[in-house]
Amino acid sequence: MKHTGSVSNGKRILKYLLTSFLALSIGLLTACGSSSSSNSGSVSDTITMGMVNPPATFDPINAADIAGQFAGRLMFDTFLDQTAPLKFVPKLADSITTTDDQTYTIKLNPNAKWTDGKPVTADDVVFTFNLIANPKTETAVGSNISVLEGLTPTGKLPAGTASIPDLTKVDDHTVTFKTKKPVDPNYVKELIGTKIITLPQHILKDIAPQDLANSKYMQSPNVTDGPYKFVTYSKNAYIQYQANNSYYLGKPKTPKFFLKIMQAPNLASELQAGTIQMNAAGGIGIIPVQDYKTVKGLKNVKTITAPQIGYQTMMFNTKTIINPQVRLAFAQAINRQQIVSKLLQGNGQIVDGPYTSVSPYLDKNLPLIKYDPAQAKQMLKDAGWDFNKTVNLVVPIGNQVRQQSGDIIAQDLKAIGVKVNETTYDFPTIMQKGKAGQFDLLLIGFAGYVDPDQSAYYGPNGVYNFMKYDNPQSASLLQAGLNESNPAKRKIIYNQLQQIWDKDMPILTLYSDNQMIVVNNNIATGGASTFWPGTVYDFQKWAYKSGK
Amino acid sequence: MAQYIIRRILIAIPVILGVTILNFFIINLAPGNPVDMYVNPSATPQQIAMEKHALGLDQPIIIQYFHWLGQLIQGNLGFSYSTREPVTSLITSHIGPTMLLMGISLIIGYLIAIPLGIISARKQNSWVDYLTTGFSFFGVSVPHFFLGLGVIYLFATKVLLFPTGGMNTLGGSGSFSDLFVHLILPVAVLSTGIAGNMIRYVRSSMLDVLGKDYLRTAKAKGLRQFIITNKHALRNALIPIITVIGIDIPMLIGGAIVTEQVFQWPGLGLLTIQSISSRDYSTLMGINLIAAIAVLLANLLTDIFYAVADPRIRYE
Repeated sequence: MKHTGSVSNGKRILKYLLTSFLALSIGLLTACGSSSSSNSGSVSDTITMGMVNPPATFDPINAADIAGQFAGRLMFDTFLDQTAPLKFVPKLADSITTTDDQTYTIKLNPNAKWTDGKPVTADDVVFTFNLIANPKTETAVGSNISVLEGLTPTGKLPAGTASIPDLTKVDDHTVTFKTKKPVDPNYVKELIGTKIITLPQHILKDIAPQDLANSKYMQSPNVTDGPYKFVTYSKNAYIQYQANNSYYLGKPKTPKFFLKIMQAPNLASELQAGTIQMNAAGGIGIIPVQDYKTVKGLKNVKTITAPQIGYQTMMFNTKTIINPQVRLAFAQAINRQQIVSKLLQGNGQIVDGPYTSVSPYLDKNLPLIKYDPAQAKQMLKDAGWDFNKTVNLVVPIGNQVRQQSGDIIAQDLKAIGVKVNETTYDFPTIMQKGKAGQFDLLLIGFAGYVDPDQSAYYGPNGVYNFMKYDNPQSASLLQAGLNESNPAKRKIIYNQLQQIWDKDMPILTLYSDNQMIVVNNNIATGGASTFWPGTVYDFQKWAYKSGK
Repeated sequence: MAQYIIRRILIAIPVILGVTILNFFIINLAPGNPVDMYVNPSATPQQIAMEKHALGLDQPIIIQYFHWLGQLIQGNLGFSYSTREPVTSLITSHIGPTMLLMGISLIIGYLIAIPLGIISARKQNSWVDYLTTGFSFFGVSVPHFFLGLGVIYLFATKVLLFPTGGMNTLGGSGSFSDLFVHLILPVAVLSTGIAGNMIRYVRSSMLDVLGKDYLRTAKAKGLRQFIITNKHALRNALIPIITVIGIDIPMLIGGAIVTEQVFQWPGLGLLTIQSISSRDYSTLMGINLIAAIAVLLANLLTDIFYAVADPRIRYE
């Protein structure tokens, strides 16, 4: 009896297993059938853009990362946009004007509205500037407003002052402010016009400045003024937006927008599958070089490769490699052409100094530093270089090409007899080592502005001057460049600076890699701009071709 | 039995405490300062000091530890350094997708492995056995990232059968069938690995038991082969299988870091990697703690199931 019971038990289990397997496989089959239609073509009321870096914050005045700034620009507007180098177009402001290069007037678009229906006014602008300047506010744009009168070099109000002097509301849609000295209007238009985001005073006025960065609003901004409204952020997966139908520059043509976060190698396959329609480029959605050929071969997308302002460098620690001749010798020993042709497969350019071919300030007459290992070795001998000394080359992880370029640099230096110890660290460690000067050579990349000022890198107190470079002549020219408001005269100053930096060699520009911009064929308008800052200009017009 | 369980739980408490100590101090040994990541480079020294104070990073590390432990006892895992969200809400929002993915993968993996392992042992050295062990080796030795990229290439880009990643179609309806389609590829990859591993244990454990005298006795008594294999042999072969299940279960919480990355699955594995790269210590400590608790719980369950499967263990 007992046994028969077990038999039926065993059979029951077997039966159960069989049926569940059957059900599962049928489920699989039907799912395959239905999925092919829903996934190959995308839903045409939705545009999805792929990017690699998750945003660190949505706080528009505290986003130091490009991903956070970009994610913010879908829902917040700046005063102006820059669609091509030094070409500024109106956005939240109809204009930023000046007659004396010192007093500036911002005229707001009178139709601009917050998503709760309230108008964007001069009060909001004054509130935002004072909030940024408040020493208690955490902000990433302090240095952008540091040219304003009454502010410290970091853009903060000195103790004892409550608000920025000469920042005045003229009427509901007009604000004026004054700079310490006359400033190139392009500087103000780029660093204030396209970077400062106005916040809604009526929503934030009761939040203490020190609590702002941690506030609920900064995690999910619910009242904004841009083309899209924030819906949700699934951390490290996607940010979802929906159209702001009462947007003052026109109702967005595509109702839903997603920024999808993924690993860089996934960009190519997602583009091919059509689950993303475009990549973000701009340093946050870069297609890896090894995928270029694959992506170019895809039939459902069009691609453009464009040079950019950003570039990769090798910093010299001028406290440990004191002699400029040694630094120049190192520069000549490095085969930058090999980095561009082998690692970037030709998709990049070699420049000296901080200006790439995109910048109007690049002095094209200056000869490029040539690769000449024999001369480099001779220069080292002449400079009395100690060939037993080991040089510490510090390389950050994260950017594969840069990491590999570290190996090429180490080999090139070894080839002229220099002993090199190459170490790799993650980015936070790199920042710490950089600040502490714990390196001889350090690889690091910069996103760059179009404005030619380089005080942050070459200035004696520059926050990125890990080189501890301090040449009084360079410092005074940098100051002169900031104080000069005439663009033509500024160009002369920055040409002089490029000559000085070429001789002093505190930092060697290794290469500037081209960016590949990919957009699905079904998209009529949209995708990253060849000039990255221009990407955010017209989100409301991004749309599919009709009938797609 | 109750006494047995209570003893096991009491042993677990000092282990958890030890885990928190190791967890906290090892993470804080890492070079680089989280404040450098979150504060703009142009911040003034006062701002950096303010920020350090706000995050409690200006305190001696021992004080930081006890502060963290005190908060932990109250159920507060602190705030994420990077997004400023409460760590508890970050973890709860990521644990669901991971448990779903891993749960289904484990079940499917076992449903494949246990029958195949038994058949493979019963028909040792037959073609079925060779095929099964071949599959098992494949599952164990092919890295998940490789298999993941392989199936994405084949089934998501060459043939547009499945989505390349994520948990649902962005902008889609968010229906169950949509979720199901997104599950197929990652589950296939994960369950291949899980099954590959499990088959080896089931097979060798069954082979061990099948040679035992009592099975010959059972056969001599005239029992049917099906009963002999699935009742008498399998039950005796269960101990190593339970051990492997016990090792697998923490994956439910810890997630499959690599697979989640490849398929952009918004689970704890992805959160872990992001927290490491952004030096989000508080989130990382929270995840580690949850994972440690999951391991201890799984051990406890394993011990209990040992006792159920083999009553002798209870009395030792």
